[in-house]
Amino acid sequence: MTQMDPVDNALLFDLAKDELPEEDQAAVVRLGSSKGSWFKQVGWRHLVGIVALFFAIFPILFLVSAAFNPLGTLSSSTLIPNGASFDNFRKLFNNTDFWKWLLNSILIAFVSSFLSIFISALASFALSRFRFKGRRAGLLAILLIQMFPQFLAVVAIYLMFTAISRLYPSLGFNTPWALVILYLGGAMGGSVWLIKGFFDTVPKDLDESAKVDGATHVQIYFGIILPLVTPILAVTGLLAFIGAMNEIVFASVFLTDSSSKTAAIGLYGLVSGERNNNFGVFAAGSLITAIPIVLLFQYLQRYIVGGLTAGAVKG
Amino acid sequence: MASVTFDRINKMYDNGFHAVRDLSLNVADGEFLVLVGPSGCGKTTALRMVAGLEDISTGTMKIGDRVVNTLGPKDRDIAMVFQSYALYPHMTVGDNISYGLRIRKMDKSEIARRVKKAADMLELTPLLDRKPKQLSGGQRQRVAMGRAIVREPQVFLMDEPLSNLDAKLRVQMRAEISQVQQDLNVTTLYVTHDQIEAMTMGDRVAVLKAGVLQQLGAPQFLYDNPDNIFVAGFIGSPPMNMGLGTLGGTAEAMTLQLGSSTLPLAPELIAEKPALRTRIGSEVVVGLRSEDMEDASIRRGSDSAAVLDAEVVLTEALGSEIVVHFETDIRKLVNEDTKLLAEESGEAELGPVGHGVTKWVASFAPRSRVKPRDHVKVVVDTERLHFFDLDTTKAVYR
Repeated sequence: MTQMDPVDNALLFDLAKDELPEEDQAAVVRLGSSKGSWFKQVGWRHLVGIVALFFAIFPILFLVSAAFNPLGTLSSSTLIPNGASFDNFRKLFNNTDFWKWLLNSILIAFVSSFLSIFISALASFALSRFRFKGRRAGLLAILLIQMFPQFLAVVAIYLMFTAISRLYPSLGFNTPWALVILYLGGAMGGSVWLIKGFFDTVPKDLDESAKVDGATHVQIYFGIILPLVTPILAVTGLLAFIGAMNEIVFASVFLTDSSSKTAAIGLYGLVSGERNNNFGVFAAGSLITAIPIVLLFQYLQRYIVGGLTAGAVKG
Repeated sequence: MASVTFDRINKMYDNGFHAVRDLSLNVADGEFLVLVGPSGCGKTTALRMVAGLEDISTGTMKIGDRVVNTLGPKDRDIAMVFQSYALYPHMTVGDNISYGLRIRKMDKSEIARRVKKAADMLELTPLLDRKPKQLSGGQRQRVAMGRAIVREPQVFLMDEPLSNLDAKLRVQMRAEISQVQQDLNVTTLYVTHDQIEAMTMGDRVAVLKAGVLQQLGAPQFLYDNPDNIFVAGFIGSPPMNMGLGTLGGTAEAMTLQLGSSTLPLAPELIAEKPALRTRIGSEVVVGLRSEDMEDASIRRGSDSAAVLDAEVVLTEALGSEIVVHFETDIRKLVNEDTKLLAEESGEAELGPVGHGVTKWVASFAPRSRVKPRDHVKVVVDTERLHFFDLDTTKAVYR
């Protein structure tokens, strides 16, 4: 604080000039001569911030630029497009099933993330609150299975769904429900561990207190425990949603009809075939696909707060 | 209202730990019974078995006339106050208090009436819209009480409800809980490790050690007539002084050899505890409360022959009395009980300061002018001496 130029104080912190003791005010030096010290205290944070900002914004900027670039090629894309137009969007809407893809994506992502959180939270409640045979083994099994890459199972799952498609076509290939079922299994592993960890932080006294008050397990779960773990539900829900929106391996195997595709494979199809011909359209599609995720994040943000259990027990 | 009956209750955990052994006791209708003992003595387990939060291994538990062994907590008509308060953090104080009633689908107007009554009683009315985290420790404690009160249960169960409060608040809440219990006249089972709470609050006190009931009785009775060495050392503050002595003399004029002092025993004492006569010549454990000793130099009236020599180590002037810690040549009693009691009071951790020397504590009248390092004569009220068997640790009565 001693070496800061009072003129620049306002820019850095809201330190009023008169807060400095008198001798300090006399001792202040110009910014130029105290550069090293200023950099050590504050400047490096700005630098880190700027680098991080650049890192985060650059791809988005490029995507926006490419989406509005009328030429629709990557090589002609620059950060600031030369001449903006909605050509790419027009092509996207007119020449592809994009709206259907997006709708499929949102449907699959929403249903699968909601259901997976519901199931994971139920499982976590049991794993956190009850003591039963196989509890530990089950927990470890979930973790272990999670460590194998997903596409190890592609062949097996493909065979299974061939049978399912024959018996129950409405749950088979080219339906969103096939993917929902698949993602449910996949999403449980990681989220059970996350949610169970959070459940463990809710004091068990609360359960017992509610039990004595006359609540059933269901009432305790929905009335007492769930409201206290909303932050982790929001986080895992969001992660599951994003995961389902972006998933491409299983979706590309399961969904081959153009009308049943998700946005991820649909858009991928635009750039995988010919050379980067359709990158402009692809960028436009990606931009629109990002909107639901951003909206969901904005909505869930309010639940991601700490200290919900404060005051429950003497801490 | 209802009584609570433990009939040979046992609790054995899966890992083989026998937490409660053959506990039989009866909490009368409207009685305030305190379960007290050192940590790990099974008192909380016993309470949780009444609540239905812990299975009963063997034995019969009755609330009123109903056997409740297999009933769930919600069907036992009990309310419990937890050590941690266990308030629902996402609910307001009002919702916390009314939760048990809302769960039971009680009429709204009745809920409002009961919440208001409880809130008035506990002075919580201005806080009803707050969340638990906005409350102080004492207020949270009251909310936990309120939650129990509105239920109007047959039995209150309290699990160390005051142990999270600071000392001053604890004294105040102690009085408040006693007051509430008396006003409502609800059967109450109260668990604490603090013998002062047990003494001040309970109609009766049950002392437990290692899952076994040691003695059950009114606080003053326990204080005056401890059944064994453990109860004698646990009840009372400062704890009862203990040492080893030898009975001597004749059946008519018995004496007690305590260290280098020989005390003549009062005939009244022998009359009260005739069993002492059979032990002439044998070693016994001697117990003496601090208030049953006096500074010989300020004692008026006839000179007593029952005098101990002591070297003062420390004095604590409390105004109404002077607590004098002194060393004597009385042989020290070391057994399981004294070790357990030392652990409980934290003495064991302090290490062997003056190890091997028997230290006793006496409460002298404030007129006494003793100072540390003084040699004083301590007059003993021999009528108030307690005797215990060295092997069985039981009190020597008849």
